[in-house]
Amino acid sequence: MSDPAILIEGLTKQYGSTTAVDDLTLTVASDEIYGFLGPNGAGKSTTIGMLMDYIRPTTGSISVLGQDPQRDVIDVHSRVGILPDRYSLYDRLSARQHLELVIDTKRVSESPAALLDRVGLNDVDGQSVGTFSQGMEQRLALAMALVGDPDLLVLDEPFTGLDPHGVRTVREIVHEENDRGAAVFFSSHVLGQVELVCDRIGILHEGRRVVEGTIDSLRAETPVGSDATVEEIFVAVTGGSGQSDEPSSETTQ
Amino acid sequence: MRWSPLARKEARTVVTSKGVWLLAVLMVLWGYRPSYIGWDGLGANITAGYVQIAGTVLLPLGVLLLTYQSIVGERTSGSVKFILGLPLTRTDILLGKVAGRTAGIAGPVAVACLVLGILGLVDHGVFNPILFLGMVLSTIVYVGVLVSIGTAVSAVAKRTVTAAGTVFGVIFLPLVLFWTQISTALFTQVTGTPVNPYEPPASGPLFLLLRLSPDGAYRVVSNWLLGVGNSANTYSHVLTKLEPQTQTNAYVVEATFAPGTAPLYLNEAVGLLILLVWAVVPLGFARYYFSRGDAV
Repeated sequence: MSDPAILIEGLTKQYGSTTAVDDLTLTVASDEIYGFLGPNGAGKSTTIGMLMDYIRPTTGSISVLGQDPQRDVIDVHSRVGILPDRYSLYDRLSARQHLELVIDTKRVSESPAALLDRVGLNDVDGQSVGTFSQGMEQRLALAMALVGDPDLLVLDEPFTGLDPHGVRTVREIVHEENDRGAAVFFSSHVLGQVELVCDRIGILHEGRRVVEGTIDSLRAETPVGSDATVEEIFVAVTGGSGQSDEPSSETTQ
Repeated sequence: MRWSPLARKEARTVVTSKGVWLLAVLMVLWGYRPSYIGWDGLGANITAGYVQIAGTVLLPLGVLLLTYQSIVGERTSGSVKFILGLPLTRTDILLGKVAGRTAGIAGPVAVACLVLGILGLVDHGVFNPILFLGMVLSTIVYVGVLVSIGTAVSAVAKRTVTAAGTVFGVIFLPLVLFWTQISTALFTQVTGTPVNPYEPPASGPLFLLLRLSPDGAYRVVSNWLLGVGNSANTYSHVLTKLEPQTQTNAYVVEATFAPGTAPLYLNEAVGLLILLVWAVVPLGFARYYFSRGDAV
């Protein structure tokens, strides 16, 4: 049995007196699609930031594909594809040049055109991304995550800015990647899509994981009934504070 | 190198920006300064002297402006998440940034030098090409030093405005524009010896202090190449100082020290060492801070 894709134990991240992630423990198997949900400011992006070594934990341990994301950053990032949240692309570079940066740094031989085709960006090869719509940027960022057939795909809010066609593309790609053997870890607010895509979900609330399991097992655990949607489970376990306007730890980064 | 693709991206980003080409144009306009003193001292090689003028004041300002955002700007926009997500250490990221931006700025700077060379060739005739090439190369080394300093500031600053304030208020103003005034005042404070710039005291530490800034060290090295004299002032200033019966406020070793009495550390080669220190030390500190803690 291979290492879990992600193994997080007792993970805590504090910014001054604010605790963004609080004693989080979580395992993502090497062959599953894991949906990481939670209200705004629950600590999802902070957790992903620690997985990717953008930021460093206050306490706790993380293992990604059996390795330390900080110490073994070269090995880990060679095998991980990341679609970050709240990124921006390089306006003066073309879509092809963005992909070449990732392809060349990962030292793989892939065709930028094929990757663009996969995410539905066919005719934009040499166009500078300064002219892209938000949906096109999101598709390109997804293509960058797919470079090198990663063993783990980390997708932070992958449906942001996408039209229904784009949403479907993401869903299809997530399934294709999982069928190929990759684990997929993604955070999302689009709960209907989560239901269609994920093997298991974990819901984060105020930095803590409140529930985890398959959607069926969560229906059984929470008092929402056996035909409840993910949205109903979500609202039930996060105290109906899905639109929380509290200062978010994610915006303090 | 793992960071080569990142360096290529950086070079491309800089070389396609308007700023760097504006700098190149201004360098030509700023550097082209025919003078009788320069012609008397250097003949047709005055053209090589233009490169030094082009590399003074304007070049440091331009390079610092073209680099202070390189990392903090990506942090602010969020694009740094892509670079940090690549199989690169944070040290790789710093090195790729410095190498790429140096290459991206060196190209247009070399073009500016070439234009100065053509103008000089037409105006003053054939100059020594090896000397000219040496001047261009030392100027490109100086670009690398400045990129390293600007990138170091950018890696440590938490906000773009802090980085801008630092490169301007902590690097450009004191270390480039006002270094002579600052170092003489500092010398007077510490030793109690007043410094008359027209008749400076033959003090090794004073002369060393004057060439400790990156700008001073660049001019020591380029004056060495030009063969005009051992000084951190511009070559025409040095030539004026060494003219008999002239008075000027330049600090030239040959004009102040009796032959053979200047301390060894005032040798021009030390200027190269000072440039190397400026290339390595700020970036070393930046690496320490950038590699620890949160990068976004």
